[in-house]
Amino acid sequence: MQRRQTWLPYLLILLALLILSLHEAGALGPLDTLIAYVAAPLERGFATFIDEVGSLFKTVRDVRQLQAEVERLRRENDALRVENLRLQEQYVSENEQLRALLDFRQANPTYTLIGADIVERGCELYPCARVVGEDTNPYLSYLIINVGSKDGVAVGMPVVSSGAVMVGRIARVTPHLAFVQLINDPTSRVAAILQRSRVTGLVVGREDGSLVMTEILPDEEVEVGDVAVTSGLGGLLPKGLILGQVEEVSYSEAELFQEALLRPQLDFRRLDVVVVITNFRPEPSEELQQLEGP
Amino acid sequence: MSSLTFGLPILLVGAVLQSVWLERAHFTFGRPDLVLLLVVTWSVIRGTEEGAVWGFVGGLLLDALSGGPPGMWASSLTLVGFVTGQPWGQALGSTVLRLAMMSALGTLLGHSAFIALMLILGYPVDVPAAYAEIVGPAMLLNFLLSPFAFRFLVWFHQRNLQQGG
Repeated sequence: MQRRQTWLPYLLILLALLILSLHEAGALGPLDTLIAYVAAPLERGFATFIDEVGSLFKTVRDVRQLQAEVERLRRENDALRVENLRLQEQYVSENEQLRALLDFRQANPTYTLIGADIVERGCELYPCARVVGEDTNPYLSYLIINVGSKDGVAVGMPVVSSGAVMVGRIARVTPHLAFVQLINDPTSRVAAILQRSRVTGLVVGREDGSLVMTEILPDEEVEVGDVAVTSGLGGLLPKGLILGQVEEVSYSEAELFQEALLRPQLDFRRLDVVVVITNFRPEPSEELQQLEGP
Repeated sequence: MSSLTFGLPILLVGAVLQSVWLERAHFTFGRPDLVLLLVVTWSVIRGTEEGAVWGFVGGLLLDALSGGPPGMWASSLTLVGFVTGQPWGQALGSTVLRLAMMSALGTLLGHSAFIALMLILGYPVDVPAAYAEIVGPAMLLNFLLSPFAFRFLVWFHQRNLQQGG
């Protein structure tokens, strides 16, 4: 059968490339939002539906109980490990702060000072989001969560889980959904510091999904087991969020810097609930603008 | 383009399932591309023009469910719909065999176009690993799943013909 050739497929390919070009030029905001607005509520509905249907299939009691037990122990283990790291970070940081206060007090003997603790810190401050899907682009490490601009979420906001473990940053937001760029995405860059030695570097994602701390000066001391946390440099992220634990250190004469392979504190593929820190205001910078692209 | 009246909901469900379910359902190796499979199947059944339209619409829906730049899936899948519906494909044999081969070819073409766009836009992609771990397994899974997609869409195709589409 002879089929006629038409102009429509060529036009559609050109239109798709035009959309891509307009996005790269930063001129696609309204159309992008419109498409996402239509798809987002449906995805939320389907996520709930699939979760519920999926649970119906789990009818074998023993397997279910075993799964629950393993899950409980895994969460408990994660929580304890995170709590341990968080306390370590808190005491190091607190010690530094108290020393600074002492210096301040000695430098200003005429001032009257009163101590206070931060008492309000927790999930209730920020929107807790459920992970509803993963990015349809298999070459990016993104998650889709069920909070959006209607909940006060904006591009650049940090996303955490299990207390103070950094998950990623909001890369794109629609009214109902937000796309989280995970810290192991190949285009992710986070200024980091090692908790024990205070060595600074940059935590980046690799194409294979691994997490690496780079730009560590050759004469700096890095040990397996050191914990990397956000340094807060650049003002884009809060200080002290846990990034990972050093698993391997490498350095060759040909390279200018040492590299440390990090083991993430969480399995990003098993995340169910995350928290978006909405009241942290990053300073406008080129790095923030680059979040939507390399 | 009357096929879009039922094609849009099918593609939407396909895109949502791909994001919510397939991305999280970890098969032994790789995962199929549901929307790509639907586009190839419709393109083989109805020809290059409708295939391209389904590719464009399905691609836009996938783009809407991605944090990456919009237009990547739309460009790739429109190309896939256009190529896999070409009349020269009929020389490949029976419809089911042709569909299976076109599914594998379409997957290779779609992902290659997608990877090329990512590299052009400056996203780092480990190309050998991408072909070994994502494209290769997806080609095989789409090849194996193509008869099911065919049976599913042929039913809509026949209904569409009955309604004068």
